[in-house]
Amino acid sequence: MWFRTPIILRSVNALAGRAARGRALVLLLGLAPGAPTLHAQQTPSGTDEDKRTIQMLLERIDRLEARVAKLEAAQPAAASAPQAAAPASQAAAPPPSKLEAANTVSAQTLSPGAPPAQAPAPAEAEAQIETSVDHPEPERMDMSKTLLRIRGFGDVSFHGDNVHGDTSSFSLGQLNLFVTSDISEKFKFLGEIVFESGPDNFYEVPGGHRNEVGVDVERYLLQYSYNDYFNLAVGRYHTAIGYYNTAYHHSTWFQTTTGRPLLFQFEDTGGILPVHNVGASASGRIPSGKLGLHYVAEIGNGRASRAPLDDEPVQNEVDENNHKAFNLAVFSRPTAVQGLQLGFSAYHDLLTPANLPSAVGETILAAHVIYIVPTFEWLNEALVIRHSPQGSSRIFQTPGFYTQISKRWGSYRPYFRYQYINASSSEPIFPDVKLRAGPSVGLRYDASESVALKLQYDYTALRQQPASNGLTLQLGFTF
Amino acid sequence: MKRVAGVWTSMAAAAVLLLAASPRAILGAAGQPPQAEANGDQDLAIIVNQSNPVDNLSQQELRTVFLGERSHWPNGRRITLVMMEPGFAERKAVLHEIYHMNESDFSRHFMQGLFTGEVFVSPKTLASPVGVRKFVFNVPGAIGYVRASDVDDTVKVIRIDGHLPDDKDYSLRIQAHPAK
Repeated sequence: MWFRTPIILRSVNALAGRAARGRALVLLLGLAPGAPTLHAQQTPSGTDEDKRTIQMLLERIDRLEARVAKLEAAQPAAASAPQAAAPASQAAAPPPSKLEAANTVSAQTLSPGAPPAQAPAPAEAEAQIETSVDHPEPERMDMSKTLLRIRGFGDVSFHGDNVHGDTSSFSLGQLNLFVTSDISEKFKFLGEIVFESGPDNFYEVPGGHRNEVGVDVERYLLQYSYNDYFNLAVGRYHTAIGYYNTAYHHSTWFQTTTGRPLLFQFEDTGGILPVHNVGASASGRIPSGKLGLHYVAEIGNGRASRAPLDDEPVQNEVDENNHKAFNLAVFSRPTAVQGLQLGFSAYHDLLTPANLPSAVGETILAAHVIYIVPTFEWLNEALVIRHSPQGSSRIFQTPGFYTQISKRWGSYRPYFRYQYINASSSEPIFPDVKLRAGPSVGLRYDASESVALKLQYDYTALRQQPASNGLTLQLGFTF
Repeated sequence: MKRVAGVWTSMAAAAVLLLAASPRAILGAAGQPPQAEANGDQDLAIIVNQSNPVDNLSQQELRTVFLGERSHWPNGRRITLVMMEPGFAERKAVLHEIYHMNESDFSRHFMQGLFTGEVFVSPKTLASPVGVRKFVFNVPGAIGYVRASDVDDTVKVIRIDGHLPDDKDYSLRIQAHPAK
């Protein structure tokens, strides 16, 4: 051990690059103070030779520190050099403006006792800095960055209702593994892998088996972030119809209530919207000052409409026709009212159900007004689904809306939601949905930052059927 | 017996010295967050890399940057937000003055932002003002905050609504005794 320090000292000069030198110096600084201690343990009295060696080492450390400081002091100049190649408007290093002069003055006046202007070798922050230090070269894979980060979400519920044939049951909710990875500064991977129990249910047509647990890849996206005005994502995503579908994904923990509004139910639990899509999505800000406009433009396979309906409705691999689904959403987050968001979206696809003689045009128009601050939320969304069979003058319009309001008092958040969907009994795509309307009342209690307990009562009026009353107790969590 | 008495005396003296030392010094030595200055409020400086062309941000722009709603600087660099660890007075001030959130809301905001894909990168968390300064010095797109007294010329202080720390109308302050 005693001989290790001089070896490292010699190796420092051989190491290339500032970061490597910095790391070696950190190691050196960590080892060097320990060296006398270790030595003292070996020879308690110490010798003159040892003292001379220690002195020599300390002097050498001083020289190395001075050298690192010199290299780092030269770094700002080096850092601005690559920018000279960029467009002048962006890359030109700011001239020594009044502000910079003010900076200097303020630094001098505010910290008279501060150490000289140099960046000493990073010790505690070095590891983090290393992964974020800017590289002027084109994007390339950096193995140190391609680390998976996984966050989990889950819930367990107890539910009972008065629907004929239903039994009160404990139910496992979705076990959601949310996976992200920073591939590079511009590219990122995002995925949601969901383990879920229970049968699928497509427009009231059951598929699969009860009590089995299956796996779905619910989101699967490669994201590219060019700037604030243009971001591109390719893969499987949540369609930007309205607000709820992109604000809340497969975790009940984020949601105030025990579940999604009827309008935004997932396809495999009877939902009527193309919640998921496989394709490409571009998004970003629109230069609009205080209006805070944003856009989302999407193209994808859309939702399957062919019988049998117990097939996977999300067209992960093959589209049933050559027509692609388009969606355009625009929303505003005005700076004058923090937490306010207003927006609309328009979605169009062509469905080709096997049980119908002609294709059906599908247009979904949605609008929302949302106000969310940490202690209060008010969500309002309305949409209309328009199905127009080709060759027919008849058009089927299915309107729907929901409003949800909640307020937080400490760890408690009572909430209320009213929702409504009214589909024609002869609707060509989802004839079994019909009318569903009614209120939900509940209370969310955040037992900790990661665990929420919710109790919710739902009343749902149905057309030509008795209304249903349901009670759900749910424990949602993140880990 | 004399030696035993000497040992007890030494231990008692050490205990007195330990008790007499300020809690801040003890906590600081252990790497714990320092408490706010006892002599009153201090200004909080928003710092960026010296190569960053931005000189001034409005309060609203600062909020959008800190919320992760802006991902790039005008020069194309990706914004990397640096936060101090929970417990620091500087962080409390930022949560109060910029985010208008508590720790729980802050965590939830970024968790949900990452979940929706709206926030591209989560904030880096560092354990000391020196660490923040060094990070900002090293990363061209970084933005962070330190006490004005912790600023040196390795980083650039940006104006908020046209004001620098110590200006009369500067709005970001670390309260010695923040309201609960």
